Amino acid sequence: MDKNVIETEITMGTVHSAAIEPYRVRLFVEDEIVKDAEITVGVNHRGVERIMEGLPVEKANSLTEKICGICSGVHLWNSVLVAEKGLEIEIPERASYIRIIVAELERIHSHLLYLAHGNEVLGHETFSMRLFYIRETVMELLRMIGGNRVQYGVPIIGGIRPRAELDEMKIQKIREGLDYLEEKIKEFADRFTSDPMIMSRITGVCPIKREDALRLAVTGPTLRATGVEFDQRRKMECYDPFEFDIITQDDGDIKSNLLVRVFEIFESIKIIRQAVENLPNGAIVDRSWEMQDTDIIKSYVEAPRGTLYHSYAIEEGRVRNVVIRTPSIANIGAMQYAVIGHHITDAQLGIVQCDPCFTCTDRAIEIIK
Amino acid sequence: MLYLIIGIIGTIIIGFIVSLWLPGIERKFVHARIQQRIGPPISSPGIMAPIKFFFKQSIRPYSPLPRLYNSLPLVGLLSALLILLFIIPETYPIGALASIVAIVGFLKIEEIVYVFMGSLSKSVMSLRMPFPDLAKGAKHPNVQRSFLEDISAMRAFRLIAFGSFPIYIALFVPAIISRSIFLGDIVAYQQVHGPILFSAAGVLAAIVFFIGYMILLNEYPFVILKTKADVIEGPYLEYAAKSRAFVYITRGFLMFTLAALFSVLFLGIPPNIFTWGILVNVIIAVIFPILMASLSAFAPIFTFKQFYPVTLATSILGVVALLAAFI
Repeated sequence: MDKNVIETEITMGTVHSAAIEPYRVRLFVEDEIVKDAEITVGVNHRGVERIMEGLPVEKANSLTEKICGICSGVHLWNSVLVAEKGLEIEIPERASYIRIIVAELERIHSHLLYLAHGNEVLGHETFSMRLFYIRETVMELLRMIGGNRVQYGVPIIGGIRPRAELDEMKIQKIREGLDYLEEKIKEFADRFTSDPMIMSRITGVCPIKREDALRLAVTGPTLRATGVEFDQRRKMECYDPFEFDIITQDDGDIKSNLLVRVFEIFESIKIIRQAVENLPNGAIVDRSWEMQDTDIIKSYVEAPRGTLYHSYAIEEGRVRNVVIRTPSIANIGAMQYAVIGHHITDAQLGIVQCDPCFTCTDRAIEIIK
Repeated sequence: MLYLIIGIIGTIIIGFIVSLWLPGIERKFVHARIQQRIGPPISSPGIMAPIKFFFKQSIRPYSPLPRLYNSLPLVGLLSALLILLFIIPETYPIGALASIVAIVGFLKIEEIVYVFMGSLSKSVMSLRMPFPDLAKGAKHPNVQRSFLEDISAMRAFRLIAFGSFPIYIALFVPAIISRSIFLGDIVAYQQVHGPILFSAAGVLAAIVFFIGYMILLNEYPFVILKTKADVIEGPYLEYAAKSRAFVYITRGFLMFTLAALFSVLFLGIPPNIFTWGILVNVIIAVIFPILMASLSAFAPIFTFKQFYPVTLATSILGVVALLAAFI
């Protein structure tokens, strides 16, 4: 880009009312139209991988839950999967089903948070409040299963924590919760898509083209909103018993991103219903495994924001060479790309459409001497 | 003379007291109810918040002209006060100032204050790092930095150019119908011929006036001047302590003043504590924020892409009202 055409720079963050997390965005603008953008993270680096180094595997796994306040469960799940792959542990089928129930509930609450935050940035506080209200049902279901609203700590090596076992009463509450969610989210989707003012704000705004999404290595629902039919869940064996569709949209704009997540909530509800109705009987944890050294083992799962990667090796029962890659790091490029050519007010929305979770993205720092 | 002074001061005091409750009514009884939450105590946004800010420690804003910057909310309050003053019937004999043209002038002061506020504010919210971000490739390291408030100043300037069209067009409809720009004549006309609101031109103009009222108060969806998504509080960003209290008071007072202006122009009932007409003013002052809050609760922020067509359509409606007024 020719540097001479850029008139001014608008810096937002690291503290800004539209950002629920600290990050900095430099918008290079000309008459309020963004010509280029630069997003920087790094103020929330906590060095979780470094702390995990040398810890016993179970302890290190529980630490991964602290990486994210929204998708805490999926981090723990993936970290546990690394150990299970390395130690060649076959978990009971019932435990696998309950893990999936929790993961899909987490996806629903994450997507509802996304929609609520998106509406907040859009300036539609009423929809935002109502979505948070609907989300409460999911949070309460997660609390019922795991005993906590944010860090429910369900997976353990070999299965799930006994606390998370589902009895008939809990299953009934999950069924009722899903009925309520389905009804309310349908109502929301109908009202949202029939509002001409909202459609005018989000249609065709900050689009990401399919080929650019692939070039920028975009992942998760943001990638699917551009029309690419890729979902890591299709590659996960534990999802084989479940029938669900991969939701895609064609335009890659804010509308497509919002709609992909709305429809994905219905798919998650579908998966949970199948899991609840076909929940196998039997044990929920296999404790017969033995600790042994492993090479570096990699594991990928579909987190609410996209493909999540964890890897580590085990030496004398302790973890080594931990690497964690969150989906948002892949989507930062798309955020910078999407806002170019759009109004500043739409720029924040263009960033939010990629569902950033910058706090868990802060995985590495570069010290410039 | 004493009667006249009591009339003016009493009306202003009544207006001031009512205006303190309006933000609370708007937020507690409309926004909170629609959004299914409890909301703040009714006295909190209009009364307790300004009181709290009056007793907060004042900070020196990072502004090239801090005194002027801090005095601008008072200028805004003064312009609203002057509008109310000259729509009170006791001031009608002054003539020129109790006219539509003078009111347009006072409203223009209120609008241009935002341009100055935005231009004079240089908050830390848009500070960049003291070194180029090498990790990101340090894109465009030497570009001139702008402040968030600069953007809001430019937006305020644009709003002066087109955003306030609807309300000014609506103001002139009663003038055309009554064949006079003086408020005394407009009120007298309506006392003989009935309220202008009950004519075709009056209804159209009232709708246009209401949309203009929302634009002037920077209420959702017309909140581009201080949208949270980018410029946060816009021109108000650095106001703290007493200055912030005046910002809150001015908004509430402007709500009452514009409602009273509507009452004068479209119902022929000026605010006067010695008549029951003041009750009509108060009722309209309560109805307008309720209507405004009901609309704003269901609307996203308009960017200029939506703002221009809405303003254009409203202005066209206003022109239709003007033509109807001629007929």
